[in-house]
Amino acid sequence: MSASVDGPDLSASRSHVWFFGFFAKYGFLPVILIALYVGFGLVEPAFFSGANALNIIKQSSYLIVLATAQMFVLLTRGFDLSLGMVVSMVSVASSLVMAGIAPNGEGPVIIALLAGVFAAVAIGAMAGAVNGICVAYFDINPFVVTMGMQGIAFGLATTLSGGFPVLDIPVLLNKGLAQGAWFGVIPPPVAVCLIILAASYFVLNRTVFGRSLYLLGANSRATEVGGIPWRRYNMLAYVICSSIAAIGAILITARAGTGEPSLGGGLVLQSIAAAVIGGVALRGGEGRVIHVVLGGLLVTVLSIGMNLTRVDGFLQEIVLGLVVVGAVFLDRLRLKIRL
Amino acid sequence: MGTQDKRDMASGDTAPVDQSGGSDPSLLIEMKGIDKRFPGVCALDQVDFDLRPGEVHVLFGENGAGKSTLINVIAGSFAADGGSYMFCGEKLGRLTPYHAREIGISPVFQEFSLAPDLTIGENLFLGRELASVGVLNKGEMRAQAKSVLEDLGFDLEPHARVGDLPRAQQQMTEIAKALLREVRVLILDEPTASLSERETDRLFEIIDRLKSEGVGIIYVSHRMAEIKRVGDRVTVLRDGRKIGTVDADAVSEENLVEMMTGRTFDAFFPKIEHRPGDVALATTGLTTKNRQVIDVDFSVRAGEVVGIAGLVGCGKSELARAIFGLHEITAGALMLYGKTITSPTPSQMLKSGLCYFPSDRVAEGLSLSRPIRENVSLAALDLADFASKGFLKIGSEKARAAAIVDKLQVVPLDTEKQVEFLSGGNRQKVMLSRGLARDINVFLLDEPTVGIDVGAKTEVYNLIKEMAEAGAAVVVISSELPEVLHLSNRVYVMHRGYLAAELTGEDITEANVLAHFFDRDHETEETSSKISEGSGP
Repeated sequence: MSASVDGPDLSASRSHVWFFGFFAKYGFLPVILIALYVGFGLVEPAFFSGANALNIIKQSSYLIVLATAQMFVLLTRGFDLSLGMVVSMVSVASSLVMAGIAPNGEGPVIIALLAGVFAAVAIGAMAGAVNGICVAYFDINPFVVTMGMQGIAFGLATTLSGGFPVLDIPVLLNKGLAQGAWFGVIPPPVAVCLIILAASYFVLNRTVFGRSLYLLGANSRATEVGGIPWRRYNMLAYVICSSIAAIGAILITARAGTGEPSLGGGLVLQSIAAAVIGGVALRGGEGRVIHVVLGGLLVTVLSIGMNLTRVDGFLQEIVLGLVVVGAVFLDRLRLKIRL
Repeated sequence: MGTQDKRDMASGDTAPVDQSGGSDPSLLIEMKGIDKRFPGVCALDQVDFDLRPGEVHVLFGENGAGKSTLINVIAGSFAADGGSYMFCGEKLGRLTPYHAREIGISPVFQEFSLAPDLTIGENLFLGRELASVGVLNKGEMRAQAKSVLEDLGFDLEPHARVGDLPRAQQQMTEIAKALLREVRVLILDEPTASLSERETDRLFEIIDRLKSEGVGIIYVSHRMAEIKRVGDRVTVLRDGRKIGTVDADAVSEENLVEMMTGRTFDAFFPKIEHRPGDVALATTGLTTKNRQVIDVDFSVRAGEVVGIAGLVGCGKSELARAIFGLHEITAGALMLYGKTITSPTPSQMLKSGLCYFPSDRVAEGLSLSRPIRENVSLAALDLADFASKGFLKIGSEKARAAAIVDKLQVVPLDTEKQVEFLSGGNRQKVMLSRGLARDINVFLLDEPTVGIDVGAKTEVYNLIKEMAEAGAAVVVISSELPEVLHLSNRVYVMHRGYLAAELTGEDITEANVLAHFFDRDHETEETSSKISEGSGP
C-alpha cells in the first residue's frame, strides 16, 4: 500500500507493487485460506456444501472471539496463558449462578441468564485485573503471571464444580445463544462475534486507549516519556482480554448446554495461534481485527477440513503446531518484503 | 614522527600524504580504495589509510562517517568489499579478528568485549587461556595479569569482578587486555570518554611509550585538545569518504570542523541571538534518589540556549530526566515559570509546556513499528487537536501531522510510513516534532544530534536557533563539546552528579569546559573513600 505512494510508478510495475503491497498488508493468509478451502473441497466434495460453509463460519466465530481477546494483550507485547482456564472457570461459575436461580429452567429464566452473563463478565474482569495489575504495575513477566492465573482458575473451576459438568442450567441458554438464528438469518455466536469485532475495531482505531495499546506495545518506554499513562492502559488490556474471553465462555457453555470445567484445555494455544497466524505480532504493537478474523477462519477451515477428510486427531495437533510455527516464519518474511 | 608529513597542510584541504605508487614496506598498514557496503548504505567508499610505526594516527569524523567501519575492517571484524589491505608490506587476504590479533593488531572498541561475571584476570586471558593438556594454568595467568597491570601502572586488582567496576576501570581493563600480547598496531576508539584526568594522563604516558617502541596507534576521538596532545596525523572521514589527511600540529579546530562537516564553520553552527528573559526553569539543591544528581542549582531563561556538558554518567542527562519526572527527586526545589513543582510527572510537565527529548530514540523516544503520524501525536493525545474525551480525531491528526512533517522536512513526507524505515536524522525530526505538536516553551534536548548525519545536524541546530529566538528556553545536553560550546549562551559542567561550573561569555572554551570535567575536589573525595573502603585487611 505504502509503496504505491512513493511516486509515479511505471505502469508496468503497478501490478508488482500492488502484489507486494497486498502481502505487506495482509500477509499470505487470504491466499492460503482460499487454497485450503479449494483443496479440501477437491478431496471431499461435501466440503463445498452451503451447510459446511455455514458451519465453518459458526465454528470459527467462537475461536475469533477468543483470539480477539488474546489480541488485546498480544498488542501490548504480552499474552494470556490463563485464557483457557478462565473460560473453564467462568463456564462453571456462571452455570452455577444460572442453575442456582433457575435449576433446569424452573424459575425466573431470564433473570437467571442475565445474572449468569453478568457473573461471567465480572469474574472474567476480575481475573484480568489481577493479571493486569501484576504485569503492568508490578512488572512481573506476563508468562509467569498468566501461568499462575491458569493454575488458580483451573483449581477454582474444578473445586466449584467438584470436577463434574454443571448439568442443570436452563435450556434457553442453548436455544437462544447456540441454536437457530437471530432475526432469522444470523446464528447467535456469529452475531455476538460480529458485535465484539466491531466494538474492538472501534476501540483500537478510534480511541486514545486503543492507540496507546499499539504505542506501548511497540515501545512502552516511549509512551512513558510521552506522558501516556501506559501502566493503566496495559492493565486494562488484560481486563478487556479476560472479559471478552468470559463472553466467549458463555457462548461455549451455551453450545455445550452444560458448565464444563474441562472446556478450556486447548483454547490458549488455539487463540494465540489464530491471532498470530492472522498476523498479530508477538513482539507487540502490530495487529488488526481483520488479522484475527482471517487467522480464526484458517484454523477452523483446517480443523473442519481435516475432520471431513478423516485425518487422525493426533495428526491434527501436529498440523496445527506446524502451522503456528510456519505462520511466524511467514510473518518474518512479510517484514522483509515490507523493508 | 617522520619528516615527510611536515609538508605544508595548513590549508586543511585534501592534502595527499603518500603518493608513492607501490606499497611501502616501512608502513605498518597501507589500505587503498577500501569499500564496504551494508544493505542500503555505503559505509566506506574508496578510502585510503596508512599507519607508520611509532605514530598516532587520529581518525576524525561525525557519527556514521565510517570511522567505526574502518577500524572494524582493520581489526578483521568486517571484510572489505573492495580495495587492498597491506600489513607490513604483505597483502592480507581474508582477515579474521583472531588472525588480526595473532599478527599484532589489537583493537579497543567502545563497546567493551568483557565478560562482566569474570574477574579482570580471567578477562585478560579470555579466549587465549594458558593451559597445559587442557587444564588451565591459573597461577601463571594470575601472575602474568598482575605483572601486566603493574607494568601499565593501572590501579586494578586482577581478582576483581569486572561487572562491579566503574566504567573507567572497565575501560582500563579493556586496554590492558589489548596490550597483554605483543602489539604492533593498537586501535583506541574514544578511549578517554569515560576516563578521569589522571587516568587519561596515564593512558597518554602509555601511548608515548608504545610510540617509542615503534607501535602504530589508530586513535578515534572528537576532542580537539586530545588530538593536539597525542595526534601526529589526522584523517578526516565524512559520509564514508576520506576527506583528507592533515598534520595534527598544523590544523585548526575550524579547519577540522569544516573538513568533517563539509560546510563553513559559521554555516554549521548558526549564530544564535540569545535574548535572556524571565527565568523559565530553575532548580535549587536538586538531588535524585539514585544520587546521580546531587545538590544542583540550575536555571534557564526564556530566549536562551543553555548547554550542559560532562563525562558519560556525570548526571547531565539524569538532571533533565529528573526535571521531567523520570527520576525520583528526594531533595531540592524545582520551579517552572516561578511555580514550584513538587513531584513532576511527564504528563504534567508536558501540560506545563516542558518537554524532554531523550538521547536514545530507539529505546525510549519512538514507537518504531508505528507510523510517523502516531509518533508525532504521541505526547499530545490529551489535546483537542488530536482527541476529545478519549476518542481520536483521525482527520485532524492527519492534517496536523502532515503540516508538522512538512515544516521539519522529514523524508519521506508520507506520515503513514513506519518510523523504523527512516534514517537517524529523520527519526530525530519525528521525535522533535513533539515540540511542535503542542505548546512547548522549555525544551530539554538530550544528545540531540547523536547518530544523525551532518545535514540533519545543521537542521537541528537551526531549529534550536529558531526556538530560542522565538522565546523558548532551550537546554542542550551533549557529549559533543563543539555543539555545547557554539550553541550555548551559558554552559554548565557536571561532574559525578554535582554541578562543577557555570561558564558564560568568553569563558566558554573547550579548555575551560574540559578542566571541569575532572573536578579535583570531588575526585579526591571519591578516591579517598575508595581507598578507605578497600584498605581493610
